[in-house]
Amino acid sequence: MVNLTIDDKQVTVPKNTTIFDAAKAAGIRIPILCHDKKLNPFGGCRMCLVEVEQMKGRQIPACTTPVTEGMIVRTMTDEIAKARKLVLELLLLKHPVDCPVCDAAGDCDLQNLTYEYQVNSNRFTDEKFHHAIDYDNPLIERDMNRCIHCGKCARICDEIVSFGAYTFISRGIEAKMGTQFDGPLNCEFCGSCVSVCPVGALLARPFKFKARWWAMDKVKSVCSYCGTGCQLTLGVKDNKVLTTIYDENQGFHNGQLCTRGRFAYQFVNSDKRLTTPLMKKNGALVEVTWDEALNAVQQRLASAKTAGDVAGLVTPRLTNEELFVFKKLFKDGLGSENYDHSAGYAHSALSKGAVESIGVAASSAVIADIQKTGLLLVVKSDAYETHPVVGFEINLGVKRKDVDLRIISDKKGKLTKLPGAKTYLNIPGTETLLVNALAKTLVDENLVDAAAASITGFEEWKKSLDGAAPEQVAGICGLTADEIKTLARDYVKAEKALLLLPLGLGYPGHTKELAQALFNLSFAAGKHGKEGCGVLLLAEKNNSQGAVDLGLYPVAGGKDAAAIIDGCAAGSIKTLYVAGENLVVSYPNRKKVEAALDKVDFLIVQDLFLSETAALADVVLPACSFAEKEGTFTSAGKAVQKVNRAIKPVGQAKSDFEIFNTLYVNLSGKPAVADPKAAFAEITASVPAYAGLTYETLGDAGVVVVPAMTPKFAVAPGAAPTAEVGKMALVTGSALYHCGTMSLYGEGPMHVCPAGYVEIGREDAKRLTVQDDDLVTVTSAAGAVKLKVKVGSRMPEGVVFAPYHFADQSVNSIASGESVTWVTISK
Amino acid sequence: MIKPLLQGLKITLTHLFKKPVTLQYPTERPQIEARFRGLHALKVAHSSAKCVACYLCPTVCPAKCITVEAGEDAQHNKYAEKYEIDMLRCIFCGYCVEACPVDALKMTGEFELANYKRSDFVFTKERLLEK
Ligand code: SF4
Ligand code: SF4
Ligand code: SF4
Ligand code: SF4
Ligand code: SF4
Ligand code: FES
Repeated sequence: MVNLTIDDKQVTVPKNTTIFDAAKAAGIRIPILCHDKKLNPFGGCRMCLVEVEQMKGRQIPACTTPVTEGMIVRTMTDEIAKARKLVLELLLLKHPVDCPVCDAAGDCDLQNLTYEYQVNSNRFTDEKFHHAIDYDNPLIERDMNRCIHCGKCARICDEIVSFGAYTFISRGIEAKMGTQFDGPLNCEFCGSCVSVCPVGALLARPFKFKARWWAMDKVKSVCSYCGTGCQLTLGVKDNKVLTTIYDENQGFHNGQLCTRGRFAYQFVNSDKRLTTPLMKKNGALVEVTWDEALNAVQQRLASAKTAGDVAGLVTPRLTNEELFVFKKLFKDGLGSENYDHSAGYAHSALSKGAVESIGVAASSAVIADIQKTGLLLVVKSDAYETHPVVGFEINLGVKRKDVDLRIISDKKGKLTKLPGAKTYLNIPGTETLLVNALAKTLVDENLVDAAAASITGFEEWKKSLDGAAPEQVAGICGLTADEIKTLARDYVKAEKALLLLPLGLGYPGHTKELAQALFNLSFAAGKHGKEGCGVLLLAEKNNSQGAVDLGLYPVAGGKDAAAIIDGCAAGSIKTLYVAGENLVVSYPNRKKVEAALDKVDFLIVQDLFLSETAALADVVLPACSFAEKEGTFTSAGKAVQKVNRAIKPVGQAKSDFEIFNTLYVNLSGKPAVADPKAAFAEITASVPAYAGLTYETLGDAGVVVVPAMTPKFAVAPGAAPTAEVGKMALVTGSALYHCGTMSLYGEGPMHVCPAGYVEIGREDAKRLTVQDDDLVTVTSAAGAVKLKVKVGSRMPEGVVFAPYHFADQSVNSIASGESVTWVTISK
Repeated sequence: MIKPLLQGLKITLTHLFKKPVTLQYPTERPQIEARFRGLHALKVAHSSAKCVACYLCPTVCPAKCITVEAGEDAQHNKYAEKYEIDMLRCIFCGYCVEACPVDALKMTGEFELANYKRSDFVFTKERLLEK
């Protein structure tokens, strides 16, 4: 620890702290322009000048200077004020000062400091900047005339996002923050640069001129896209969500978001939102009153209850409280256990795999472990696409904490390009075999942790690995035996090692077995139950983890999603209640799903939009988005976080909580669950990991719950998919800009990724003589779709990729839930 | 007793021969001073409103009667797509004029603001444009 004096205040801080941080810890504010707590010190703007007595009163930047013992610092003297004023005068010299039309006004560091230091005139004169403004980008408007060269955008894009879109071009007075060849910005559009820009040089175009910063209500909430569970602040005015506001103190991610969280909020106030209930009359959906719609639903459910032919599919995007009432409605109101979510398999790694392996449907690690680990083995480079802000954590781990990153993947990707990352390209669908071969190496080379032998099922598991030796599976997996062995040795030798697997509707191959193989590996290597160790299973949607925590899948005898679809087709399910799922587009085998829904006598769909599934319904109930309700989401990292109501329901929409509750009361005759808070109290009483939580203890920050775990070796056999000669392997998954099917209603993602595509490697593209944007027909045994070609260097030969989100030409018309779909591609 | 009565009469009589204070409105009209704060007008330059929709006037207005909605024109400039003042709520304080950073707003001598319908008291941008 180092002792020093700042403005006559005694301060004790750890070694290597900067003067700025020491002052901050002591509650003393030093103005900054180019410094950001997330970024490495830069020292470019000289706004943070302070005087240090030992340096004969010389002015030095507080943000880059580390403290020394006995230092005496003054943060404000007349000289300092003068120096800061000079800095501002020089910055304003060529600055346009067009605050009246600048969206940053009110939230602009330059403006605020100019006001604070009363820079009313300028001793210097010069011409203003004349840089061309980039108006064409749909998401980020760049006006380099307003840039103060703080370099934060370039640094965040490089240090945290690891994209590197910007760099300074030219020098001295000519210097400008530019893009590659000074061309248009074409990047991940995460908006991180926009959030850290201290002035109005980088602005969110979708929000351009929409409102003044000070006129908006700022409502803290949680992103409703992926399972990362980023906290965000909604900017609300006149009952509309106008933007997301950056708050560097929010969440583990310090306010950083990905393109979905930052730019895809428009679905909330989309014109396409359902505003009234609809009912099918004479073959067409017509608007009806809530009374009429609810009466019809209630009557139908009452008779279905007697007949026992009802089932429900619910989206894990709902709050825990809503899922809780949904379950109550089914169990107590309808006496049925036929309910599930996410096609069943998207959560089986948790609900079946983790349950058997560690006794609870959760990961054995949390997101914070990523930066604490020594070796991180990611299964599928797609972890970046599915959970981009977890990807930022990986970037930071690799770059700042020297995390040794290894990736087993069927294609290359963003993660494989990180410095020092080692990628093992495997043949699609062989991941489980490969993970078992890693474990087998430990067994064969006597590297198994001593404590592992006492874990239940050890012997049996060890026996099950016969035939899984690297030599035996290397060829099948597309790796060499040596590669597998070295990876296994490195994994076990690392002091801390973490395994990471993304889950989701696009990843049917990420099964119970794969998760279990990973758990087994972590037990065998003694990388379980310690900091920086374990298996992190990234549940797909914002509340997927909550849905499995609450047991929103059949446990005792009920039908799971696949059985429900089969039941519909076979006529044993006559009434289907779909809440928020768009199964026509997202569940495997579109034709089968459509045929099944066609067979259902009475289809109830509750959604924000008239989705492809809702269009087939007999009754459509308009529901509320996350911005219109209160509740909690549980992130993939097991953080239970509070969602707050930002706006009133759109049109006549009602929250899922209210709708389920009404039906529950009327069908069960029991009293209603008073409000989300009461529901949460009931949840904490029934879900062990949540015990003791209340809305108050969650606060703004949320609470990461740590469930008790009992490790158990489970036999997890892997099998390679049988290749079909002459065909290519199609793997599905998530595109970086989308999450599920909801982001199709967010304008941001639709600007940069408006339609489905098939990604083909360069070699294959040459062989097929196709180019970017060519339209090709992709044919599988299940059907054919026409998709645009995207040629890239990510795909190995013989493997193609297609994202699953899109409704038109949806990939589930050719994929039926197998880890690999064999296809032919023709022009 | 009689004295105050006579005093009163005297005042009345002197006033009989003085020029009347009352204006015979509407046949007679008051003289409006330049600094009078009447109906607002949006100043025009180069045949369009000078207002750049900075939202400072609605922010400063103590009666919260100004509604501005900004838009982006073909040259990517900010302009007031909607500019409305609810004259039933305006207290004619003139803060809006003072706040305007581009001198786009003024207050005219126009004081005859009576209308038949409440909605007609909401002056839209077209009605506020300087004639
Ligand atoms: S960047 Fe700040 S100082 Fe510059 S015009 Fe915008 S608000 Fe004004
Ligand atoms: S939006 Fe994200 S990826 Fe694009 S330049 Fe900004 S920080 Fe980099
Ligand atoms: S664009 Fe913004 S963040 Fe980037 S250097 Fe300029 S002022 Fe800094
Ligand atoms: S989509 Fe996921 S990673 Fe992106 S901001 Fe939302 S929660 Fe975070
Ligand atoms: S203050 Fe002036 S420029 Fe700003 S909105 Fe009002 S009239 Fe327009
Ligand atoms: S904030 Fe310290 S030099 Fe810019």
